[in-house]
Amino acid sequence: MGPPRRKLIIDTDPGIDDAMAILMAFQSPEVEVIGLTTVFGNVPTPIATTNALYLCALADCPEVPVAEGAWAPLTKSEPTRISDYAHGEDGFGNTHVANPGFVKAEKVDQSACDFLIEKVAQHPGEVTVVALGPLTNLALAVRKDPSFVKNVKELCILGGAFFASGNVNPAAEFNIYSDPDAADIVFTAGMNTRVIGINLTTQVILNDKELTDIKDSGTKYGKYVHDITRFYMYWHVTSDGVDGIFLHDPTCMAAVLDPSLVTYRTGVVRVETQGICAGLTLLDMGLKGWNSSNLWMHQPPIKVGWTVEANRVKELVKNLLTKP
Amino acid sequence: MPPAFTVMGASKKKIIIDTDPGIDDAMAILLAFESPELEVIGLTTTYGNVRTQMATYNALHLCDVGGRDDIPVAQGLETSLRGEVKNRIADFVHGNDGLGNTNPAPPKRSAIAQSAPEFLIQKCKELPGEITIVALGPLTNIAKAVEDDPTFVKNVGQIIILGGAFMVNGNVNPAAEANVFGDPEAADIVFTCGADIVVIGINITHQVYFTDKEMEEVRDSKGKYGGYLYKASKFYFDYHHSSYDIDAIYLHDPTTMVAAIDPSLFTYSTGVVRVQTDGICRGLTVFNNTTKKWAETTAWCNLPPVKVAVTVDAPAVTKLVKDRLMGLASS
Repeated sequence: MGPPRRKLIIDTDPGIDDAMAILMAFQSPEVEVIGLTTVFGNVPTPIATTNALYLCALADCPEVPVAEGAWAPLTKSEPTRISDYAHGEDGFGNTHVANPGFVKAEKVDQSACDFLIEKVAQHPGEVTVVALGPLTNLALAVRKDPSFVKNVKELCILGGAFFASGNVNPAAEFNIYSDPDAADIVFTAGMNTRVIGINLTTQVILNDKELTDIKDSGTKYGKYVHDITRFYMYWHVTSDGVDGIFLHDPTCMAAVLDPSLVTYRTGVVRVETQGICAGLTLLDMGLKGWNSSNLWMHQPPIKVGWTVEANRVKELVKNLLTKP
Repeated sequence: MPPAFTVMGASKKKIIIDTDPGIDDAMAILLAFESPELEVIGLTTTYGNVRTQMATYNALHLCDVGGRDDIPVAQGLETSLRGEVKNRIADFVHGNDGLGNTNPAPPKRSAIAQSAPEFLIQKCKELPGEITIVALGPLTNIAKAVEDDPTFVKNVGQIIILGGAFMVNGNVNPAAEANVFGDPEAADIVFTCGADIVVIGINITHQVYFTDKEMEEVRDSKGKYGGYLYKASKFYFDYHHSSYDIDAIYLHDPTTMVAAIDPSLFTYSTGVVRVQTDGICRGLTVFNNTTKKWAETTAWCNLPPVKVAVTVDAPAVTKLVKDRLMGLASS
């Protein structure tokens, strides 16, 4: 018998790149997806829930529980913005595949926050949480259960922009921008945390030919991935002049599946919650002995993704998405 | 702005130095005195390394050291643009007297009656398009000039600023560099005012340094100020040793002065710079160095861009500074 499969809970706002990352996890025998928790971000939360259920059905895993999470950031009654301009109104590039006929399962009654708390408490030291959207559910769990931060095995986050431009504005990346207060709570909570920012993920691009190759593989998800990325690619061309798509969430998932793909710098990260730079993530590189106290001192450090082997990540993504 | 030629009889670049001396300010000012490309037509004082009145004292003193009693010194604001009395004075970096606790001799002259912002406004009006302001401290005086005279931004030739930390940590805290932290509201006004602006951040100046050996060479040279600068810089060396664990001093202000002397030693990227004025990152500078089309209007849209230095030929800058301070002919 081989080593035990690593238990994953994926907190997600599917989302095109979320979809790819989630399918990667379902395709990886060394991990066991024990639940999906949903959050607003790329889409409003109810659509995220529908899409998460769709992905479980598509992967022939309808028994995987989906727990719906927060509809708005910690300090507001509704999201600041929804990135339907990139992911389409349905979160799947306006392909509208997640129709009720296909999806039979329903979300569980439990909230995402309670689901996270319960599962992590049930399997202390065993659960890796992969956070692909705004960090509201994670912050709620941290606040509600003091043992949560000790019991989580590892938290791997897609978010932030470290010494690089944001993608909502020059200061902020979308997930952190969407709930800066939650992000600051999570980054300083003391969990074993890795964060992959867009300074890394914008180095990992799948171009149109590669996406066509995925479709032409004729495998289970090939056409689906190709179809949902049409709208996403159009947005990349117009906003960034990139003839392809950034693999944000898939890079984070790749780092979870194969930690050798990313190197890390360890330090304290704080998030700006006010003013024009709200959502900005700032890492203290630890190069200077500070002369006065500052808000990065006496906080627990986390690991910030520093370099990525882009080609190896792409190979892993392509291999998993075209696995029969 | 007239080009700065290097042939005989060429026109010199007229500069006004806004300064809070400050050890590296002192080096930059003496460097300017020794640079044939530059004509220093005034000093204006601000707070930061020291309080404004001490900055004025030191600026007048440096004119004495350089034998330049022809250069007017105009005192600037003693508070931030919005009237805050400054708490953070970097005496732990520059000493209680701003010059490494060397007790500079009392100056022979006094500041002129005109305030620094009035002086800047007037000079730029008299010589439109000809004046380069080299800003070595917080941007309070310049922001006041921008606010008080709508024609100032068109009249000034160029403003070369030491400030900000672009794609690197700050030096006051992980977010903020000292000059911008000293008056973030002023900095945001200046960066977006529409003048011709060049910004030298600590991402650049942390690449340019004198080792203790190089400072000894300056001391032992025939340069007029060698001994003076060596004594003044001891305190500064001690600070760098304890804060950065290096036996060297960063040449922040001298590097900025070199951007006035020979801009070709740097490369620049053009874009909008904004300053965070609240929260934990107060004093942070964020530069839009992308051509991205944002999904919604951002605080960087529809504002005038500035030139942010992105690379520096550090050995060439160090050599230029060292040669001039050692009294060697400029190459």
